[in-house]
Amino acid sequence: MIDNEYIQKKVEQDFADYYPAGDEMQSQISGRRTRGKLFFWVFLVATMVAIIALLTLLVTIINQSFGLVAEQVVIPEETLVTDFNKTRVTSAANIIESSEDDESLAAGIEVDPNGVGFFGYAFYAENQDKLKALSIDGVAPTEGNVFGGEYPGTRPLYIYSAAEIIEEKPQVAAFLAYYLENLKIVSDVGYFAADEEALDQQQAAILEALGVEELPHINPADFEGDISVSGSSTVFPVTVAMAEKFKTDGFKGEIFVESTGTGGGFNAFCKGTEGIDIVDASREVDTIEFEACRAAGLNVNEYLIGQDAVVAAVSAVNDFADDISRDQLELLFTDSVNWSDVDDTWPAQSINRFIPTAESGTMDFFVRSIFDEQTLANLPYYALVNIYSSNVTVGRCRAIERERRFYLDQLVCDNPEAFAAACAGDNPPSGCTEETWTHAELERMITAEVVQPKILASWYLFPSLFERQEIALEAATKYPNAELKFKSWLSMDFITSPQSSQPEIAGVRTAILGSLWVVFISILVAFPLGVAAALYLEEYADPRKRFNQVIQTNINNLAGVPSIIYGMLGLAVFVRFLEPITSGAAFGYVEAGATANGRTILSAGMTLGLLGLPIVIIAAQEAIKAVPPSLREASMGLGATKWQTIWNHVLPNAIPGILTGTILTMSRVIGETAPLVVVGASTFITTDPTSPFSKFTTLPAQIYQWTTRPQDTFRNIAGAAIIALLVMLLALNALAIYLRNRFSKRFA
Amino acid sequence: MNDFNLSSNGHLAIEAKDLSCYYGDFRAVKNVDLDIKQHAITALIGPSGCGKSTVLRAFNRMNDLIPVAHAEGEILFHGANIYAEGVDPVEIRRRIGMVFQKPNPFPKSIYDNVAWGAKINGFKGSKQEMDQLVEESLRDAAIWDEVKDKLDQSGLSLSGGQQQRLCIARTIAVKPEIILMDEPASALDPISTLRIEELIQELKKNYTIVIVTHNMQQAARASDFTAFFNMDNDRAGYLVEYNVTQTIFTSPAKELTDQYITGRFG
Repeated sequence: MIDNEYIQKKVEQDFADYYPAGDEMQSQISGRRTRGKLFFWVFLVATMVAIIALLTLLVTIINQSFGLVAEQVVIPEETLVTDFNKTRVTSAANIIESSEDDESLAAGIEVDPNGVGFFGYAFYAENQDKLKALSIDGVAPTEGNVFGGEYPGTRPLYIYSAAEIIEEKPQVAAFLAYYLENLKIVSDVGYFAADEEALDQQQAAILEALGVEELPHINPADFEGDISVSGSSTVFPVTVAMAEKFKTDGFKGEIFVESTGTGGGFNAFCKGTEGIDIVDASREVDTIEFEACRAAGLNVNEYLIGQDAVVAAVSAVNDFADDISRDQLELLFTDSVNWSDVDDTWPAQSINRFIPTAESGTMDFFVRSIFDEQTLANLPYYALVNIYSSNVTVGRCRAIERERRFYLDQLVCDNPEAFAAACAGDNPPSGCTEETWTHAELERMITAEVVQPKILASWYLFPSLFERQEIALEAATKYPNAELKFKSWLSMDFITSPQSSQPEIAGVRTAILGSLWVVFISILVAFPLGVAAALYLEEYADPRKRFNQVIQTNINNLAGVPSIIYGMLGLAVFVRFLEPITSGAAFGYVEAGATANGRTILSAGMTLGLLGLPIVIIAAQEAIKAVPPSLREASMGLGATKWQTIWNHVLPNAIPGILTGTILTMSRVIGETAPLVVVGASTFITTDPTSPFSKFTTLPAQIYQWTTRPQDTFRNIAGAAIIALLVMLLALNALAIYLRNRFSKRFA
Repeated sequence: MNDFNLSSNGHLAIEAKDLSCYYGDFRAVKNVDLDIKQHAITALIGPSGCGKSTVLRAFNRMNDLIPVAHAEGEILFHGANIYAEGVDPVEIRRRIGMVFQKPNPFPKSIYDNVAWGAKINGFKGSKQEMDQLVEESLRDAAIWDEVKDKLDQSGLSLSGGQQQRLCIARTIAVKPEIILMDEPASALDPISTLRIEELIQELKKNYTIVIVTHNMQQAARASDFTAFFNMDNDRAGYLVEYNVTQTIFTSPAKELTDQYITGRFG
């Protein structure tokens, strides 16, 4: 069978000449290579674009989730704690006298060997012959110790006025300038005068307020009109001495000085109608006072005049108490009755207390500098209960108490009869049976409802890092009383807190739990159905039959149907038609509180399960197709049945591919928003889902809802929630991949 | 080998009568009449596409796995047509085993590769007896010494030649009556090929063997009978000549056979 004719033809026509040779061959090859290089760059650029897009996304989210905020509170935590501590002091046993008048208090202690009280240093210094100061932890209130900062009870002294008053009343401006020129009086009275540096700053402030370059020499005789001063009993003697000197120097008007305590002084001053020009203060103005002044059109100016120390003093005739620790000092003015309660070596005589009123700056200062409890976390449970119940409305407190009680044996806000009646009713509130609130929960409730930190403005991460100065300036002018601090919107509290209408305390716990439930149920639906359908289509259905071809085409197209359509399907079928099942009513399940009708986790999970079904089917089909035919032949050749072959060889070999498809489905389901909105994800829900029949929201739905809010800060928590979503997605995928790899290893 | 001749009254293992195989409308094999003798090695040879593998796969209804394939004519196994209605192909494959061209052990342990077929076919022995069956099958397949210390390792970890012997062990573990081999050594190196050939000779004592091969030396060396197939002008395979191997290779009756075995076409 040798074709000689063909061989002849082959010899005559040598196709080898048809190819380029030598240099031409090389350039032909390099030309081909160049074309390949071109494509290499195209691929590289495509990859780069993808990476840049992803990085931009990430950077944008991170930019939103961290940054500076200007935060202002309604009542500072410190004030709550101080107020509570003051109450402990003012309600201690055996208070002989409570007065703003130091003279009167000192007169009482002087003659009482068991008497005790606390004063500003100046007052003690004047009465050293009659009073004896207690040293604290071995440190006596001497000048050296006060300046060295070793003595615990030192504090600054201020006078306050307002720019508006200084402008309007020249005599007030003159008096303030005179005050600062003559600070040696502060030392004369017995305090420690502010130093030169501080003084220069103060004068500059006055110049600014007056709008002049240089402070004219003050001649009190040039001024007339009245000046009214009110406030701290500690600063009182200084101001009185200053006023006398001012008048001696020729001032024609009257100066009224009043001792009402720092708080009282600010109260009157900030009303703006009491005619107070200057406030004596033995502490800094607090947020509430500052805001009250601003509301009355007064921009507060602060002048530091000196330092004071608070001194706990007993009578000079007291022969047992000399030194005391800080803890003992706290005990001495609060929960003790006899001296022996504080120290074993002291007599069992009752402690006779002579203390300033709660209005007094001395009192504020004493509890702030001496007491251990400076934060809510340090306060005892009953204190938190008191703070909470006295700062929210009775109605709110009652509602909280019906949710869970504060004490099992006692009601704080509710009426015992009403509570008992509610518990005996058909639908008893959870407070009847639940455990009490915990300390941590109460802290959180106080922070949220009493302290109420409000974020007035927030800045994104990059400006926060690179334009800090500008932001600080902007914050200082626009929000003078807010605290500028760096905030990570993504925090443990954010993850563990439920949704709230206040972005400051809102969290994503409800949404995360909702997402996990929905994903779990949707996979429970999509995985078995998808694998079963894929097995039928691949192993049993005859691809030549028209019917099966139509099914296959439909499934391929279903994977591309917009998700909102699935939402409408879910609404019609699961929410409406199958409501008895999806609401749990058919199983006798009744959700506590409001019913969710069919808008439950079960409906959402099944809807998303259907949405993921085509993806699972297609992935599973591909995986089943990829099982080598030789494996099936080997199995069938041994006499295995079709089912044995599928179960023992096809499925185990396809499972990694099927799981990959399932992971894709899971990722898609976690990120779905639109169908859930249609199916009825709650826009605002604060209770955790507890069963498939619960109302729910999911992370994407939550994010969507937050981004539609007008307030800036919701954008920040939306960013944080996106990070939480990404992390959850990564974690779930990592878990799935780990499981898949373990599966694959078993069969490799 | 000389003990065999076609006219002797040796028992027949398989009789193909007027067998034609189709893939859809395409007739791949036409009108084959072939008697396979018991306890002998029958080689099917021929050029590519001549349908020898199709015939082999028709013997245990392996072609059924291809949805479009069907067969006409009869294949008698113990006197009964295996293509008759009501015959379970699983039973046919259980009794007529097959070794494939490419070694295809399961992605399981060596032990399980052998034991799995026994398990699904209802092996009634105890665990100990199962161990014995596995050992015996591996010994019969001449691979026991190489794997006895790593029975729990994956079958895929073995070399190609070892994998093919493992596949043979797997096949004989279910105690078939006939073993069909579809070019069992074509994917192997010469040394492994030789070992497989030796093994086939050993197996002849207990089994009837039908082997498809491209390698004419292999057919000449290892078989008792040889059937030569060729492709007709309508691209359907047909049986050209069937005789004792020695006759085919020394004095073929047909000129086509002579041309093929002397390497002038194919």
